[in-house]
Amino acid sequence: MTAAPVRAAAGAVSGGLVAEVTNLHVGFTRSGRRIEAVRGLDLEIRAAEVLGLVGESGSGKSVLSLALLGLLPESSQPRTSGVVRVAGTDMLTASPQVRRQVRKDALGAVFQDPMTSLNPTMRIGRQVAEAAGSGTEALRLLRAVGIPEPERRLDSFPHELSGGLRQRVMIAMAVAGDPALVVADEPTTALDVTVQAQVLALLRRLRDDVGCSVLLITHDLGVAAQVADRVAVMYAGRIAEIGPTPTVLRAPMHPYTTGLMRSRLSLTTERDRPVETLEGGPPDPSAPLPGCAYAPRCPLVMEECREVLPDPEPAVGHDDHLRACLADSSRVVELAAPPRRADVLPSPREAARPGEPGLAARVSGVEKTFRVRAGRGRKARLAALRRVSLDVRPGESVAIVGESGSGKSTLLRVLAGLETHERGDVTLGGSTRPQMVFQDAGASLTPWLTVGDLLDERLRTERRPGGGKLQKGERRQRAAAALERVGLPAAVYDARASELSGGQRQRVALARAVVVPPDVLLCDEPTSALDVSLAATVLNLVQSLRHELGMAVLFVTHDLSVARVVADRIAVMYLGRLVELGDAVELIRAPKHPYTKALLAAVPDFGVAPPQLKGEPASPLSPPTGCAFHPRCPLATPDCADPGLDVPLERLRHGAELLADGDERRVACIRPKEL
Amino acid sequence: MAIAEAFTPTPTPVVPGRSRWGRTGRSPHARLDLLSAGLLGLVTLVALAAPVLAPHGPLDPVGMPSAPPGTSGFLLGSDSVGRDILSRVLYGLRSSWLAALAVVAVGALLGGLVGLVAGAAGGWVDNLLMRITDGFLALPAPVLAIAVVAALGPSLLNTLVAVSIVWWPFYARIVRGEVRTLAARPHVEAARLAGAGPVRVALRHLLPGAVPAVVVTASLDIGALVLTLAGLSFLGLGQSAPAPELGADAARNLSYLLQDWWIPVMPGLAVALLSLVANVAGDGVRNLMAGR
Repeated sequence: MTAAPVRAAAGAVSGGLVAEVTNLHVGFTRSGRRIEAVRGLDLEIRAAEVLGLVGESGSGKSVLSLALLGLLPESSQPRTSGVVRVAGTDMLTASPQVRRQVRKDALGAVFQDPMTSLNPTMRIGRQVAEAAGSGTEALRLLRAVGIPEPERRLDSFPHELSGGLRQRVMIAMAVAGDPALVVADEPTTALDVTVQAQVLALLRRLRDDVGCSVLLITHDLGVAAQVADRVAVMYAGRIAEIGPTPTVLRAPMHPYTTGLMRSRLSLTTERDRPVETLEGGPPDPSAPLPGCAYAPRCPLVMEECREVLPDPEPAVGHDDHLRACLADSSRVVELAAPPRRADVLPSPREAARPGEPGLAARVSGVEKTFRVRAGRGRKARLAALRRVSLDVRPGESVAIVGESGSGKSTLLRVLAGLETHERGDVTLGGSTRPQMVFQDAGASLTPWLTVGDLLDERLRTERRPGGGKLQKGERRQRAAAALERVGLPAAVYDARASELSGGQRQRVALARAVVVPPDVLLCDEPTSALDVSLAATVLNLVQSLRHELGMAVLFVTHDLSVARVVADRIAVMYLGRLVELGDAVELIRAPKHPYTKALLAAVPDFGVAPPQLKGEPASPLSPPTGCAFHPRCPLATPDCADPGLDVPLERLRHGAELLADGDERRVACIRPKEL
Repeated sequence: MAIAEAFTPTPTPVVPGRSRWGRTGRSPHARLDLLSAGLLGLVTLVALAAPVLAPHGPLDPVGMPSAPPGTSGFLLGSDSVGRDILSRVLYGLRSSWLAALAVVAVGALLGGLVGLVAGAAGGWVDNLLMRITDGFLALPAPVLAIAVVAALGPSLLNTLVAVSIVWWPFYARIVRGEVRTLAARPHVEAARLAGAGPVRVALRHLLPGAVPAVVVTASLDIGALVLTLAGLSFLGLGQSAPAPELGADAARNLSYLLQDWWIPVMPGLAVALLSLVANVAGDGVRNLMAGR
């Protein structure tokens, strides 16, 4: 990556504020309901700082960013009060022309999905030049944001770039014209972990080079921790806590921040008991509570919390650390270090069920190729799975980890029978079909059918031990039991997906999968679309269902900390191949394959920014020859690129004495001695 | 993207939501839409009750020829042979409206079936059925109607057959498109994993999703059909002479336009009104379906 300065001469940045939000209220009407999105918010964005704004969905963080940009959509009839001052202009009251001028001169924006933010019909060069003013300036910006071969990329269309490159183009456009403030709304959420680390580092470097401030909006405390100078935690349209990143993360002074940090999974989360969860859900934005919005979920709630709306006040001993909480700060500190809970998970049923073979599922040498259109009428072959072999024992949980294009979901779909494979064998040990839980639970529920209809359908094909069909009453009873098992109220039986919250939908999907307990449960990133606290609840549920029903679980995720918590073993995939397989804890503790090491290093956590893996995952349309990982591998030699090379997954023998007993580590690398 | 996300409220747990499939709340807009959609029912009722509502038989010469509108007992006047125009318009409305409903019903059923099979099966079945559909789409409606009538003789039934033949492919395309979109959603795969067979998937997990689009198209189509059928009978391709029919009544009496204007104009106005009502109602149905 080139590290050319973004601006020829760093502009003089004096102290002061680039943006100041005072007592901001934003409400709007949505299908006849009044929604209070932001409810009395004060925020200062200082010159040349990275401010991380953290909050769950519905906390109002995106509405705040739109208010800063002066882009609150008229169609939602926003009602605003307060002041949003950016570069001396109030973005709430200024005319559209003035707001546009401020956006041009002083603001830049990066959104979550660069594919929809870039114009698909315009070449990159023209789009950036439009923002930058000239072609040469555009080229300089593209080089500055680390786009390889920028001269060539000027003529590309957005769809010809990878997600990471597109986001870099967005960032180049955002910093064009040296803005005072760049608003980045979840800029890395859609990216792979290794690419996310690169983009975060780029944002940080821009701040250093350009001297602009960055408002980094994210739902992930870990992302904010990596790059932000200060962190603001938002809840229900208000600031719960704001302060310097190290202070807030080391000594959070608001029970919500504490809860977020404790329900966040990391590579050191304890595995033998349920993940900590935040009880309850976010408040209804159409019926704001008179007191603290967090009161219904707060473990420290007092009588006055329900009546008095707390304002952010300086925490004891820290002028720069504000918290909106009435509880004594010492009680919040106690909350951060709770006594160890006793609810240890029961160990899963170890032995296979009688009469069953010793494997729940066996995949051996499976290959799957998709035929895709590669543009301009050309057809291409996408090798999604390349000779994958994996055994799953009954009752065992295996996590399949990889970045996009690694084939992890395809493997799951082949097991589910949703895709046919060309070569190799898939054998299922049990008598039942595997069931699957999809990433988007809402989309996996038929919108016009009630939860009851869906559960009933699954039970229709079920036979009683005697061989007869289930009667209507029996089916109803089994469905109710399944709902209870996943912790849903009985009333959900008559509800449709649209009437349920995101967490409830995922529970319904789980209930449908286990209403007839399968031998193998397949989970395709069931938590990646959920907020931190909900994700923790769903993970716990998957775990407890697995223990109760003795199912084998295959859990696809891109998140190693999730994999470590849910799985007994972890399988790491890269471009259609398994590159490492081993005991979950041991694989995380002592990764062997260079790719596993890089993935682990890229997991954003509260520590310092990690060393980065160069490049992005290659396209599965044209995987590199030999070992597919060699272009990014720090250990690669010319041998690794040999087209005739086949790197099988082999038991690690060299250096195996460093592994714990019972860790049957398998690694795909031609030079195992150096791992 | 972010803007849409920020302004989409998170659903509140198990509370009646306003959604396409959930129970819908009532806003002033929705009430107006409901009222317009109700017009469909009202007109159908009038059509069915025409024999009761009409003061006279449509074929009986009951008064002075060419009595102007407002003459006592003849609200819309009488025609050149003394038949009550109001009665003829009511009966004509009955046959036009019910004929339009029949064509829509045949189109939706036949087209829906073809579209559902094509969309749910995909592959070569989809290709084959859609090419056949394209073939029918290529037929020119009036020419086909003339050909059918020429072969089988002029009658309302023959006209309906001819119009239905050119009408159903639109429904096949709509249903097929909706079903293809739905088939790509994970809920169909989830249903298959839950043990639902192909027929069950098609009927329970695909077809209901195409119903709103079909209902909207059908309700907007009624207006167009009223006009088409009136046009065909205007050309003499409908019922034969004495039967009351709006298009034919306007055409046959066109020569009176200058002396006794009401004789051709009243049935013509009825056609215009009918098609207007059908369109307003169709808009109402569309808005209700979209869950505005």
